[in-house]
Amino acid sequence: MINKFNSFILLGCILCITLSCQRHEEKYHNITDKINALSKAYEGTSISSEAYIHVPTIEITEGAETFLIPERKGQITSYACTECHTQPLKEMQSSSSSKKAHWDIKINHANQNTMECITCHNSSDMDNLKSLTGKSIDFNRSYQLCSQCHSGQFKDWKGGAHGKSAGGWSSPRAALTCVNCHNPHKPHIAPRWPVRYNTQKIKERD
Amino acid sequence: MSNTKKWFSLNLGNKKKEQSSSCGCGSTTGGCNSNNASAAIGEEKHKDGFDQVFDVKMDRRTAFKQLTASLMIGAGAVSTSCSVTSGDESKEKAQIDWEEQFKGNYKLMTDDEKKATVERLSRSYQLRTGKTVDISSRNAEEDVLFGYAFNISKCQGSMDCVNACVEENNQDRNSQMQYIRIHEMMDGQGFKFNEADDNYYHEVPAEGHFYMGTQCFHCDNPPCTKVCPVQATWQEEDGLVVIDYDWCIGCRYCMAACPYDGRRFNWTEPEIKEEKINKNQHYLGNRPRKKGVMEKCTFCVQRSREGQNPACVDACPTGARTFGNLLDPDSTIRWVLENKKVFRLKEELGTEPKFWYYMD
Repeated sequence: MINKFNSFILLGCILCITLSCQRHEEKYHNITDKINALSKAYEGTSISSEAYIHVPTIEITEGAETFLIPERKGQITSYACTECHTQPLKEMQSSSSSKKAHWDIKINHANQNTMECITCHNSSDMDNLKSLTGKSIDFNRSYQLCSQCHSGQFKDWKGGAHGKSAGGWSSPRAALTCVNCHNPHKPHIAPRWPVRYNTQKIKERD
Repeated sequence: MSNTKKWFSLNLGNKKKEQSSSCGCGSTTGGCNSNNASAAIGEEKHKDGFDQVFDVKMDRRTAFKQLTASLMIGAGAVSTSCSVTSGDESKEKAQIDWEEQFKGNYKLMTDDEKKATVERLSRSYQLRTGKTVDISSRNAEEDVLFGYAFNISKCQGSMDCVNACVEENNQDRNSQMQYIRIHEMMDGQGFKFNEADDNYYHEVPAEGHFYMGTQCFHCDNPPCTKVCPVQATWQEEDGLVVIDYDWCIGCRYCMAACPYDGRRFNWTEPEIKEEKINKNQHYLGNRPRKKGVMEKCTFCVQRSREGQNPACVDACPTGARTFGNLLDPDSTIRWVLENKKVFRLKEELGTEPKFWYYMD
């Protein structure tokens, strides 16, 4: 008799628990659980962001990430450099009376002990950049130059936590590269004024 | 009335369909009636269009209200449509007004009904202004859950996002309504919203300050949708919390329920210059609103469902804003969530916002 009674209580308990669980409509305890569970079966969406990439791009693969970045050489006004730099740099410098090229470039990047023109540019190969160890770097892949020192930013940029998207949120992924936002000769972003001021809000506050 | 019981018994699990028999009073007026009316609101899941309005049990007062409102429209429609003098256009306009008055809740519409209502709305806009708008009714895509990340160390408070948002989403220019707020906060003080300035005007970034933006966080457990008495706001399959502006009654319960100040109310008829109106619209997004309805950030549903980033993301000059699909393990938003130290605002409330903050 007691056994029967106990089993009734047990059955009741189980019934209560199952019923009370069923009353919750939400299947997941939090958003992280939901994301993890739902993304297991993820096979991609039909939405493409291709239409929102408005610049010519090149595909790069860095570590586990493959994405598009804007092509650079075509955007530099007077590329290729050797179209003007036909002679060695020494000889071009000597004619001091003529107009100077690149007069508007002032380097304000790290301090002068660390960086000067030839830290990145190669006087014997003007059409390419050069790494700290003297290896050639293509102008289209100038991020490889930046990442020599700015490794933290490089890691974040590869992942998507630094920098700006150049397309939409869906694939193909396109990201702006370092020099699309930072001037390599003066990489600090200057302070500016906000683009709006809400006069109405000031009135409402008074 | 043979199955009317004279004793009270618990109705566990086996839901009886007859609503009236469970009512003990036997009267057809008073409290029992209002119970019936509220039950009918739950039932309306299966009804749509005219049925939602006509085929519900309601008390006398509601019925009269509905009838008066409908009669006003109807009288207008009949007088124009039967009139010999009024042109075809005004007849068509009256027809559209009539059908719009009795359309159902967007949430419950079939795809055809959605298409029909956006067609009516864009036709009505064309009749009124002579200009064409492109209103979309695109549904949520499968395997998409939108999420957003905001880099506090990158935001410099230039407010480009605010401008882009206002222009994209056709917000009222007179009241300077904005979905995004950028708060200027003191370094070392943490988030102190009562001491923050969200309407600064000086060179930015200001010394000793940091900037953080707030907007609708599209919570996964949104308190705003639960308080809506007419179910005019809900969460879509892709995680967007949206509003049917035509179903909203403007009670502002949702505004009070939101712990993040994410919702805005149209106190006046929104006014935007015709040439400034963004013609690329979505029913749940930036189509023109009326006086007395709620609105808020929709993660630019008209853009995001097409694969584009929200306007604020594209406008940000510092790249502080990241948007993407939370279900895609290769998306940038997922990389941020998995590799940066992210947190959300008022996480302890259990609202599960899909808007994360992080720092470099």
